[in-house]
Amino acid sequence: MSYELRPHTADVAVAATGATLGETFAAAGDGLAAATCDDIPETGERFSLTVRAEGLEALLFDYLDQLIYERDVRGVLPVANEATVREAGAEWMIEASARGVPFADISARDVKAVTYSEMRIEETESGWDAYVVLDV
Amino acid sequence: MTTREIDGIRLEQVREYVWEIPQEGEMRVPARVLASEALLDEIGDDKTLQQLKNATHLPGMTDHAICMPDGHQGYGFPVGGVGATDAENGCISPGAVGYDINCGVRMMRTNLTYDDVQGREEELVEALFANVPSGLGGGGVVDGDKETIEGVLERGVDWALEAGWAVPADLEHCEDEGRRPDADPSAVSQKAKDRGKNQLGSLGSGNHFLEIQRVTDIYRDDVADAYGLEPDQIVVLIHCGSRGLGHQTCTDYLRKIEKEHGDLLDSLPDKELAAAPAGSELAEAYYGAMCACINFAWVNRQLIMHRVRQVFARVFDRSWESMDMHLLYDVAHNIAKKEVHEVGADDEERELYVHRKGATRAFPAGHPEVPAAYRDVGQPIIIPGSMGAGSYVLRGGESSLDLTFGSTAHGAGRLMSRTQAKQEFWGETVQDELREQNQVYVKAQSGATVAEEAPGVYKDVDEVVRVSDALGIGDKVARTYPVCNIKG
Repeated sequence: MSYELRPHTADVAVAATGATLGETFAAAGDGLAAATCDDIPETGERFSLTVRAEGLEALLFDYLDQLIYERDVRGVLPVANEATVREAGAEWMIEASARGVPFADISARDVKAVTYSEMRIEETESGWDAYVVLDV
Repeated sequence: MTTREIDGIRLEQVREYVWEIPQEGEMRVPARVLASEALLDEIGDDKTLQQLKNATHLPGMTDHAICMPDGHQGYGFPVGGVGATDAENGCISPGAVGYDINCGVRMMRTNLTYDDVQGREEELVEALFANVPSGLGGGGVVDGDKETIEGVLERGVDWALEAGWAVPADLEHCEDEGRRPDADPSAVSQKAKDRGKNQLGSLGSGNHFLEIQRVTDIYRDDVADAYGLEPDQIVVLIHCGSRGLGHQTCTDYLRKIEKEHGDLLDSLPDKELAAAPAGSELAEAYYGAMCACINFAWVNRQLIMHRVRQVFARVFDRSWESMDMHLLYDVAHNIAKKEVHEVGADDEERELYVHRKGATRAFPAGHPEVPAAYRDVGQPIIIPGSMGAGSYVLRGGESSLDLTFGSTAHGAGRLMSRTQAKQEFWGETVQDELREQNQVYVKAQSGATVAEEAPGVYKDVDEVVRVSDALGIGDKVARTYPVCNIKG
């Protein structure tokens, strides 16, 4: 799994890739952390989160939104994301965890929100690609 | 007729600085771009024009969707976009307001001159940086418990007055006297309130900043006089918004609209244009929530401004009142507001949701919604520029109601992505050059923010303001130049 930050006039885009949907979504989460902070230390405790949504794009949107929420409320930057994605009845579900680096340990800037702008989730020969624009 | 074609989009020049994209296909109205040739070249460089065309698909869009001279690509609706939709049969679009609800700018006057500040810049920038929370997780000026958040959302700057963070004159010099009466705190989610409670009175990061500036130029003496501005005077400019509370509110309503009004969403070319039909429960709830976020952002800027007064009082060892530190005005540039405008060929009066996303209200002299203090000269407009270019104070122009539903630009507008900026600029170098060559003292939580906000990443604010002035939508009154700048 990996991610790349891509240029966007006002904002920052994340292109994520992985062997599974879970890996790809977690890589997008790592891209969110990279858009927030350049140097990430090895500190912090892991925490888990579960998110359900009506479709895959909605799930990626809600998952990243939940990471931003956890960041603001816990006062930590979620990094080293891990996730599995599966269908649960009529919905999609992500069971994820992250290491929360305390704000005191980093010099970071705020990413305001996740957007649907130009969002893509595509199956490839080797797994899944996702593209998401973040509002900075 | 002069025409231009940019990426397959044809623009016809209606008159100087006014370009029209004719109505075609699913467009409900034509679109207009207000720009010089040079600005149009920059606007045409990214997806701004396509996003502007997409914006005309919103139900009830009236007359034109309009791109201001500083327009650039956003998500869904372009930044620098103005779109007025019918409040009875149209829609309201959280996507056309943006994530940072009531992101805006306020300017505070002082009676200090540049001489009083020169030599003390370092002390001032350090004191401001230590006392005004910025960046990620810096907390807020005030600890927001449940009662505080509810009070702020409901009553706006009235809350700040009761809590000792404002004086009555602050309310008199703010749009709506700092309180949106349509605010409905119960329409703001608990999630949004959770995010807001640690951020009440904080700058955030990105392009948000606090700047001590000096007035360098006056262009209209009578208006500058009414605004209390004169050459060499020190003023303070504060640029920030509704923080995580507003971002979460926009996110929440985009998702609710997606779930409840999927048909309308499917008819739009971009999911980020998400709109609730006028009159629907969700439209009412979003409007109430957005107005509550507007109140939150006003209080956010008010708390920072009042904290700056305290910092100045300590640094200069005088009361802030004796330094005449009073609010000149506060402008919102991410907002939708119910307003009555004359529209169509027969100038029929209609109530509209005027969406201004990266655009500033610019009501002319005599308009009843301009605060009494400025009604004879027109509403003050504050256009923040980059750290190296300075900012402008304008006044609402005579033509703004005819051309732009009473709106003008909101800033310089970005030219370069943040990722590219970090490749081209190095934060410390930018900081050193600004200090040595421009006598501007900058302090930021993150060096990357300084690189991303380097003067070179912005459009020419002088050209943006020149076009606004020439069109008569926002007239030049004064120019200011940074002395100290703090950011997240």
